[in-house]
Amino acid sequence: MERARQYALSGYLIALADDELILGHRDSEWTGHAPILEEDIAFANLALDEIGHAKLWYELGADLLGQDKTTYPDRLVYFREPAQFRNMQLVELPKGDWAFSTLRQYLFDAFEALRLEALSQSSYTPLAEIAARIRTEELYHLRHSQAWVPRLGLGTEESHARMQAALDALWPYAQGLAAPLPGEQDLHAAGIVPSSAALFERWSGEVSQFLVEAGLQVELRSPLADMHRSSHSEHLPALIHDLQSVARLDPEAIW
Amino acid sequence: MYGADVEQIAIQLNEDPQKLADFEARIARGEKIEPGDWMPAEYRRQLIRMISQHAHSEVVGMLPEGAWITKAPSLRRKLILLAKVQDEAGHGQYLYHAAETLGATREEMLDALLEGKAKYSSIFNYHTTTWADNGAIGWLVDGAAILNQTMLARCSYGPYSRAMVRICMEENFHRKQGQEMIILYSQGTPTQRAMVQDAITRWWWPTLMMFGPHDADSPNSGVLIRWGIKTRTNDELRQDFINQLVPDLQACGIVLPDPDLHYDEATGNWRTGAIDWDEFWAVLKGNGPANAERMAARRQAHADGYWVREAAAAYAVKNQNQ
Amino acid sequence: MVFQQEGPDQPVVHNGTVHAPDAELAMLNARDVFVRRPEAVALWVVPADAIFTQTQEELAKAEPADQAASELSDYYVFAKFSQQAQCRQVGQVQAGSPQAAVQAAIATFADKQPLWWWVFPASAVLKNESSEAEPMFSAARYKTYKDQAEYPVVTMMRALRDKGRLD
Repeated sequence: MERARQYALSGYLIALADDELILGHRDSEWTGHAPILEEDIAFANLALDEIGHAKLWYELGADLLGQDKTTYPDRLVYFREPAQFRNMQLVELPKGDWAFSTLRQYLFDAFEALRLEALSQSSYTPLAEIAARIRTEELYHLRHSQAWVPRLGLGTEESHARMQAALDALWPYAQGLAAPLPGEQDLHAAGIVPSSAALFERWSGEVSQFLVEAGLQVELRSPLADMHRSSHSEHLPALIHDLQSVARLDPEAIW
Repeated sequence: MYGADVEQIAIQLNEDPQKLADFEARIARGEKIEPGDWMPAEYRRQLIRMISQHAHSEVVGMLPEGAWITKAPSLRRKLILLAKVQDEAGHGQYLYHAAETLGATREEMLDALLEGKAKYSSIFNYHTTTWADNGAIGWLVDGAAILNQTMLARCSYGPYSRAMVRICMEENFHRKQGQEMIILYSQGTPTQRAMVQDAITRWWWPTLMMFGPHDADSPNSGVLIRWGIKTRTNDELRQDFINQLVPDLQACGIVLPDPDLHYDEATGNWRTGAIDWDEFWAVLKGNGPANAERMAARRQAHADGYWVREAAAAYAVKNQNQ
Repeated sequence: MVFQQEGPDQPVVHNGTVHAPDAELAMLNARDVFVRRPEAVALWVVPADAIFTQTQEELAKAEPADQAASELSDYYVFAKFSQQAQCRQVGQVQAGSPQAAVQAAIATFADKQPLWWWVFPASAVLKNESSEAEPMFSAARYKTYKDQAEYPVVTMMRALRDKGRLD
C-alpha cells in the first residue's frame, strides 16, 4: 500500500476506534449503577468489548503510521485534545436513562454489524481479519440490544414513553452514521472500506422496521446541520478531561 | 455455649437432639450440607446472614473502584479494572444465589441492604481518593478477602463452598493486578511513588480491620467454627495476612503507618500496634467516611431501575398470554 | 437454572441460576454471568419450576407413576452423584410425566446410582444455536488480562529483592 493511502487508512481507523472508545466509556459508566445486577455485568461486557475493539483499531492505525503499537494507542487516547477526536456525536452524549443508553447501543450496533460485514471483505487483509474477529463479538451485542428494545418499547406505558423520548433525542444524531469517515472516498474507491452512505440506506430500512415493531414512532427529521466528525458537542471536552485526568498527572510515567 | 455438648445445645436452640447429633456428625466426617438436608435453624440463619453480607459487599464493593473506570490511565488498566468490577457483580450474583438456596429471596436481601438493616464489609465505606487506591484495594483488600474466601471454600455448606471455589479463582486475578500495579509504581516516577505510599498508608489499617474483631470480641465465631462454616479465627487469618504482606511491601520501599510494627523472632510473626476498634465499630455502624454515599448510590440505582424491571416483567407476561 | 457445557466432549452440567423475566433474557444473562471466562461451548437455560427432582429416599417412598395416562414427550435426565459434584446430564427418556420420567431414567440407566435425579421436559429448555456459539463464547478468549498468569508478581518481587541486596 502506498504511503498516502496508509496515512489515510490510519485516519479512518482512528476515527472508528474513537467511536468505540467513547461509546465504551459511556457504557462503562453504568457499572455499579444498572437496573439489575445482571445488566451491570452485561454493560460492563459491552464496554470491555468496545474498548477492546478500539484498542485493536488504534493498533492497526499505529502500524500503518509506522508507530509502536504497544505505546501509540495510549498516546492517542490520553494526549490528544478533545478537538482532535474523530468520533461521531451520537456516542459522546451523556448516558441518560437506561432507555437512552440501550437504544443508542442498538442504533450503533445495528450499523456496526453492517460496516463490519463489509470491512471483513476488505481488500486490505489485516483490516479484514480484525473486522471478522470484532464482528463475532458485535453480533452478540446486537442480540443483547435487540432483546431489550421491544421489551422496553412494549413493556409498560412508562417504558414506552422513555423509549420514545430517547428515540426522539437520538434520531437526529444517528443521521451522523451516514457521514463519511476521514479518507473514506478514496479508500472506498480502492475497495478497502465500504461507503457509509450506502450502509446507512440499508441500516435505515432495517432499523426503522424494527423500531416500529417495538411500538416506537420513527419520525423522519432533517439531519443535524453539522455531522462532520471534527465537530463535537460540549459533552466531549468534559468526557475527555475525565478520561485523561490521571494519565496527565505525569505524562512521563508508565501507568 | 458452643463448647458445650450437643444435648445442651439442642435444648438451647430448641432442636431435636438426635437430628442435631446426626448433623454434627456429618460435618465432623467432612460431608457437605446441601439445600434439601436437615439443618438447625440457627445454622440456616447464620449462613443467610453471612452469605448475604458477603453478596452485599461485592455489590457495594463495585462502587469505590467503579468510580475510576473512566479515569484509568492506560487502555490496559481500563480493561483490567472494568473486568475486575464486572467480576464483583458476578460474585454478587453467585452469592445471592447461594443464599437463595437457603430460602432467602434476592428481593428480601436487597431490601434489607437498602433499608440499612443488612451489613456489608466496612472496607467499602472508605473513599478512593487517587488512582493508586485501586492498586491498594487489589493487593491489600482483595488479598485479605482471598484468605477469608479460601477458608470459606472449605465450609460445610455445599452451595457456599462451591461459590467460593469459583470466586477464589477469579480473585487471584484481582489481587495480582493490584500487586503488579503497586510494585511498578513503587519503582516508578516520583509522582507514582508518592501516590502508592499515600494509598498504602490509608488502606493498611482498614484492611487489618476487615478480618473482624479480635476472637475474644467476635460473638458469632464459636458457633460458626463448631458447624464448619468458618474453620479459622479472625486473628489467625489476620496474622497470616500481616506475615505475607509486610515483607513484600517493605521490599517495595513502602513504609507502613505503624511505629510499633516489629518482627517477633520467637514466634516468627510480624506484630502490629493496636488496631483502632472505635473506628471499626463506627464505620460498621454507618459512620464511616463514605457510608451515606455508598447507600445513596445503591438506592438511586435501585429506584432508577424500577421501571426497567417492571417493563421486562410486563413484557414477559404479555408474551406468555399470547 | 443454567446448564453449561465446557467442551465438546464434556457433559452438560448445572452451573447456577440467573434471575430473568423470560427465557431470552435468561440466556443473555447466563452468558454474561457464567462465560466471563472462556469455558463454554453450549448454554442451556431452564425455568426452575420446570425441573423435577427426586432423591433416592423420596424414590423409595414414591408410588409407581401412571405411564398410560398422557402423551409421551422427551425429558432430559440429569443426576447428582456425590455431595460435591454438580448435577450432570446422563441422557434422555420419553415419558408422560416428570414422575414417570424419573422411573424411566432408573430403568434406562440402571447402572447409575445417583443421590438425586433431576428431569425436565426438553421443551422447557432454551439452548443456544450452535451457530451462535462463536459470537457468544469467543469474546472471552481474547480477554487475556483476566488471567492471573498475566501478572508475574512472584518474579517481580524476586527481582525487587535481588535489586535490594545489590544496592
